[in-house]
Amino acid sequence: MDFRFDIIADYMPFFLKGMGITIGVSLAGVIVGLLLGLVIALGKMSSNRWIQLPFNIYINIFRGTPLLVQLLIIHFGIVPLFMSPSNPIVSLVIGLSLNAAAYIAEIFRAGIQSIDKGQMEAARSLGMTRAQAMKLVILPQAVKRVIPPLGNEFIVLLKESSLGSVLAAPELMYWGRAAAGQYIRVWEPYITVALIYLVLTLSLTYLMNYVERRMSTDDQR
Amino acid sequence: MISVKNLKKSFGTNEVLKDISLEVSPQEVVVVIGPSGSGKSTFIRCLNMLETINGGHVIVDGKDVTDKKTNINEVRTEVGMVFQHFNLFPHKTILENITLAPIHVRGLKKAEAEKKAKVLLEKVGLSEKASAYPDSLSGGQKQRVAIARALAMEPKVMLFDEPTSALDPEMVGEVLEVMKQLAKDGMTMIVVTHEMGFAREVGDRVIFMDNGYIVEENEPKALFDAPQHERTKAFLSKVL
Repeated sequence: MDFRFDIIADYMPFFLKGMGITIGVSLAGVIVGLLLGLVIALGKMSSNRWIQLPFNIYINIFRGTPLLVQLLIIHFGIVPLFMSPSNPIVSLVIGLSLNAAAYIAEIFRAGIQSIDKGQMEAARSLGMTRAQAMKLVILPQAVKRVIPPLGNEFIVLLKESSLGSVLAAPELMYWGRAAAGQYIRVWEPYITVALIYLVLTLSLTYLMNYVERRMSTDDQR
Repeated sequence: MISVKNLKKSFGTNEVLKDISLEVSPQEVVVVIGPSGSGKSTFIRCLNMLETINGGHVIVDGKDVTDKKTNINEVRTEVGMVFQHFNLFPHKTILENITLAPIHVRGLKKAEAEKKAKVLLEKVGLSEKASAYPDSLSGGQKQRVAIARALAMEPKVMLFDEPTSALDPEMVGEVLEVMKQLAKDGMTMIVVTHEMGFAREVGDRVIFMDNGYIVEENEPKALFDAPQHERTKAFLSKVL
């Protein structure tokens, strides 16, 4: 069996450009997802059922339907209402952010609720408002506990950004498919793309382990 | 200072407090004793609204905390609370534990709050632990820090919810010593405890609670030496 390295060499500039976009949309998805996820988590933990309701619905919809379906609806249905022609990278970032927010919200909620309720009571008994107690006492402790599951979620997000290829967003997987289509070859483009994804996720794993270690030594000062 | 009128509290169908009334004057030390499940912890937690109450009134320093218009956070700044399990903030140093609320609630400058915190640490005998983290402290030390943390808000009343129950026996003394000093300084205190020696020595008044009621209240000597009610007698015979 011949393995045509020339195809890989030919497409390498595109793979690298695609990798840049994959990293970019994933990063954007993580940042927006974190902010939105925190808001949703706090909303879902409201003591008022009517405030909880929309946040519950949000989480159920975005966790309960396939990301691919969400991306198609966002790209061909929703984004065209605001921009024309709709940009697939924009659609991909929106889809990834909204989807990740639902998962991240649940990670945050679990982290916050794992903090002993005596912490909230102590803070409140000192006259802090609920918001102050959250910000000064609960969240700083919860952050440490949510790092491992968040790392997991970041890796999932990075891989799922490959669905952007369906929208023709020029990320890594898109160029893999383009190369496969042009040369009618399977192994060369897809193995290369897979290896690049693997390098990205392993780097991310390493990074998260490092953050985790640093956070836990912080404790022992 | 604190006035409780016909206080009622249930958890679901379980009625924990049934019609509790109590007046506490300034500088008075009231000790609440009673068997487990008698409602004494719930009672003290109702005084600063850590539990929402189902009936009656709790008036702290002239403010009805059961009134929806009362700013509960404001009232709580005047009511210090010490918990059985200390509830120190593990991510903050001892000094930060003490200065957190004065800075963010009272609006004190950091330097000023730290100066006051150091005085309080001195008072509870833990000056050398200012930059340590709670995890490195013994139970007795943690509880003394928790007392200093509550005192940093300069409260008018201090509530103690079984402050020595989670401690190893040899650490009970150091915490009670701090509380004794506090009482001597004229702090108004309500103390839920199983330490009968402390109740007798430091209390101005002892309340015996059982099954959601105040069964008997009297000066410590009278209550311990000549209890009037059968249930008080039965309880005291078991613990003394």
